[in-house]
Amino acid sequence: MIELKNVCKDYGSTKALVDVSFSVKKGEIIGFVGPNGAGKSTAMRIITTYTAPTSGTVSVGGFNALENPLEVRKLIGYLPERVPLYSDMLVSEYLAFIASARHLNGTFEKRMNWVIDACGLTSVLNRKIEVLSKGFKQRVCLAQALIHDPDVLILDEPTSGLDPLQIIGIRNLIKELAKKKTIILSTHILSEVASVADRILMINQGQIVADGSFDKLVKKVSDSGSVYLSIKGSKKEFESGIKSLSDIQDISYDETAPRGQTAAHLYYNPKADLIAPLNELIRSKKWMVVDLQQEQISLEETFIRLTSNSSGKTTEVKREGGAK
Amino acid sequence: MNDIKVIFKREFRAYFYSPIAYVFSVIFILLNAGLYMFHFFFIGNADMRAFFSTLPLILGLIFIPAVSMRLWSEENKLGTVELLLTLPMKIESIVLGKFLASLLFFITALAGTLTIPLALEVLGTPDYGPIIGGYLGTIMLGAFFLSVGLFISTFFSDQIVSLIITSLTCGFLALIGWGYVPMVIDGWIPGLGRFLYDYVGVTRHFNDVEKGVISIGSIIYFLSFTGLFLYLNAKALERRKY
Repeated sequence: MIELKNVCKDYGSTKALVDVSFSVKKGEIIGFVGPNGAGKSTAMRIITTYTAPTSGTVSVGGFNALENPLEVRKLIGYLPERVPLYSDMLVSEYLAFIASARHLNGTFEKRMNWVIDACGLTSVLNRKIEVLSKGFKQRVCLAQALIHDPDVLILDEPTSGLDPLQIIGIRNLIKELAKKKTIILSTHILSEVASVADRILMINQGQIVADGSFDKLVKKVSDSGSVYLSIKGSKKEFESGIKSLSDIQDISYDETAPRGQTAAHLYYNPKADLIAPLNELIRSKKWMVVDLQQEQISLEETFIRLTSNSSGKTTEVKREGGAK
Repeated sequence: MNDIKVIFKREFRAYFYSPIAYVFSVIFILLNAGLYMFHFFFIGNADMRAFFSTLPLILGLIFIPAVSMRLWSEENKLGTVELLLTLPMKIESIVLGKFLASLLFFITALAGTLTIPLALEVLGTPDYGPIIGGYLGTIMLGAFFLSVGLFISTFFSDQIVSLIITSLTCGFLALIGWGYVPMVIDGWIPGLGRFLYDYVGVTRHFNDVEKGVISIGSIIYFLSFTGLFLYLNAKALERRKY
């Protein structure tokens, strides 16, 4: 549905995008993550034809974005990061303007009603945009992106500045829409990407540093697996038992464990299977298990590792407890 | 064509969202009518020569920059330009829609001065040739200045900066055909004043039309320069992509 091939974008001597290539299949939700100034918005502006790449090709729905920008624009609904709106218009006037600019003639009423309902705008239809709260402005801007029922949605930080309840509302709407549409969304909130996106594109200093599902990305950065085990019993007892497991590389005790309990993060060779021998050990020692969970590196951690690796730095990151 | 209409409608209504448009229209009408009435009572002729003679300067320095300043600068400031230029519309249609809206707003304000010919009709027997020519010339002059202002506002996100630069540019175009100005310029650089008067300044062409002499040359001058600036406007927006 969307394809970028060797796209570069220079702003004077600054390189905003360097040889970026990726493609997005129909129906996929792509989460675009990266630090500020990494090139996320630039890539989105190139896809929406607002900006042209310095070199490389972009196509959306089979149309070349440089040769056929009007066809590409028809397919796309775009929510820019700044949430730009004509502040002196009424919400209803603004949506009617976008609807007519999007050439919705026959379906005008139907689409207007749908979008007002889906974005929860009924109560503010006759209010001036400038008096609306940030959350409502965001929703009005999302409504203009949805009004023509586009096949592709480009959402640049759709939940920034919203309160938790509004974030959940927008997230649910995106999930609902995802059934029929191809979506690219960028965000700073990494848990959002993990909960919404099928695939994550991590971008840093204008380059794609990782591309894949959340699990795939985590595997990419993890050099060892980890399990959190907490039992009722002494540290000595725990230690002697664990020592018998050959695949354990390192043990890090959890000092916050309550009295009478021993807990630790067990790091092991990811190629080996730890769960079966561990279960065997627990059974033979008759340990009373309080907590046992497979740990996963958080997306934040993956993000830090990938972005710091690509800039030539290495960062030591401690594992976080709790499985995703 | 439909796209031009959509943009035109929004832009024309946008003038009336803020009080600035009303304020400038009232100032424009009062200033022009006031200046004219002074002449009218002083000289006592039932014509509008005095009215049209000061018009290029008032339009160029104050009124047109005030009308055109928001057209792109506001979009740049609000960031709405990003949405506008990703709508499935040709850039030319958007430029033309904005231009026509500002032109209609200008014509509306100009219509407020029609009380003068009405008064002349009551008080005497005016020669309508120069009056109709004068209004026609004013509309063409306004269209030209608006295309310049629209073009200039593309480059700034601050409306005041757009206003000042447009005012300087249009003021310059009006002044180089004004009274002794070409001669003064000739005094500095021989030949330049005359050249500017003949080929660049608007006043000479405007004066022709205003006398009731609607020459093809003047019409071509106004239309081609208006078209040129609208074309440059579309090109400047296209260029911004790179």
